[in-house]
Amino acid sequence: MKHVIVTGGSKGLGLAIVKYLLSENYTVSTCSRERNSAIDELLSQYSTFQWFQVEIGNAEQTAEFVRKACTWANEAKLWGVINNAGIAKEGILATFPNIETDSLLQINLHGAIYLAREALRIFLSQNSAGRIINISSIIGSRGYTGLAAYSASKAGLDGLTRALARENGRRNITVNSIAPGYLDTEMSSTLSDKKREQIIRRTPMHRLGHVDDITPLVGFLLSDGASFITGQTITIDGGITN
Amino acid sequence: MKNLKNLIIEKTRKIITEKGVDCPTITLNSEFLNDLPMDSLDLATLIVSLEISTGLDPFRDGFKTFHTVDELINLYTEANS
Ligand SMILES: NC(=O)c1ccc[n+]([C@@H]2O[C@H](COP(=O)([O-])OP(=O)(O)OC[C@H]3O[C@@H](n4cnc5c(N)ncnc54)[C@H](OP(=O)(O)O)[C@@H]3O)[C@@H](O)[C@H]2O)c1
Repeated sequence: MKHVIVTGGSKGLGLAIVKYLLSENYTVSTCSRERNSAIDELLSQYSTFQWFQVEIGNAEQTAEFVRKACTWANEAKLWGVINNAGIAKEGILATFPNIETDSLLQINLHGAIYLAREALRIFLSQNSAGRIINISSIIGSRGYTGLAAYSASKAGLDGLTRALARENGRRNITVNSIAPGYLDTEMSSTLSDKKREQIIRRTPMHRLGHVDDITPLVGFLLSDGASFITGQTITIDGGITN
Repeated sequence: MKNLKNLIIEKTRKIITEKGVDCPTITLNSEFLNDLPMDSLDLATLIVSLEISTGLDPFRDGFKTFHTVDELINLYTEANS
């Protein structure tokens, strides 16, 4: 059995990734700040699933999370980590409070760096291969009005992906980013109807993305078939950035 | 705690031999990245495994440079005091 850690697995894309990986027989640990009914349901359904309350962005809590998750997973060795937890906050930068920038970067970027560090320490000390997947966004490369800090955090994640891929490739550790377009989740629920229509109109596939459009790629990047793919940011956006 | 000097030399040797290469004699003056068949990831592996077995992290408060086995032993001895 292979153990995969997914951050932010209580909702949206993270929850879909957790369900997908459980159905593919991975042992899965996840975390979020709050426990909800989706987590309760999975805990009652799968003995191969565990949830921890963690504030991603806090280095000590992240280290503790990885330690506890790996102890819980026991025989199932750590195989992959998926940096999915993230927040989006909207506002024109000129009036965007610095404190909001700090907390966004702390979660979206620092949090991912802390988790990657913990995972790499385990991969190196077990002398094993491994996979790191960062959930980025097309906004990291394209930008979006009102999402400057978010965009910077995702561009940062893609930089992290490229650097870690170079640094750790010789140990058979791959690192990739997945950059979804606009997904229909709680995060995008604040989009106005007008914006939503505009995005759909500009998307060749003529719809918003669904979390199930993303999960198969996560599965593939964790599989043996993806062992030569590293340092990439792979876009899944229905063609909108074409 | 086990003698730090022996522990560091023993773990260094283990990392080198696990790579499938012959381990040269490790002296106090051996430079990890110049005199021993080790790269930066091997060195990171050594630091992580030393932290696991001793609970010590001399780098907690920031970078400290070291090149030789002796310099690393000194960093761990200081962290242990
Ligand atoms: N939705 C989109 O259109 C879209 C597009 C491209 C990329 N993405 C990216 O996809 C990822 C998932 O987004 P989503 O749409 O699924 O978001 P979501 O529905 O808001 O879910 C976010 C998840 O992360 C957790 N989380 C947030 N902050 C956390 C923290 N500090 N510590 C621990 N857990 C935390 C949340 O749980 P708690 O709130 O209980 O902590 C929740 O489980 C994000 O990285 C996002 O940037 C989303």
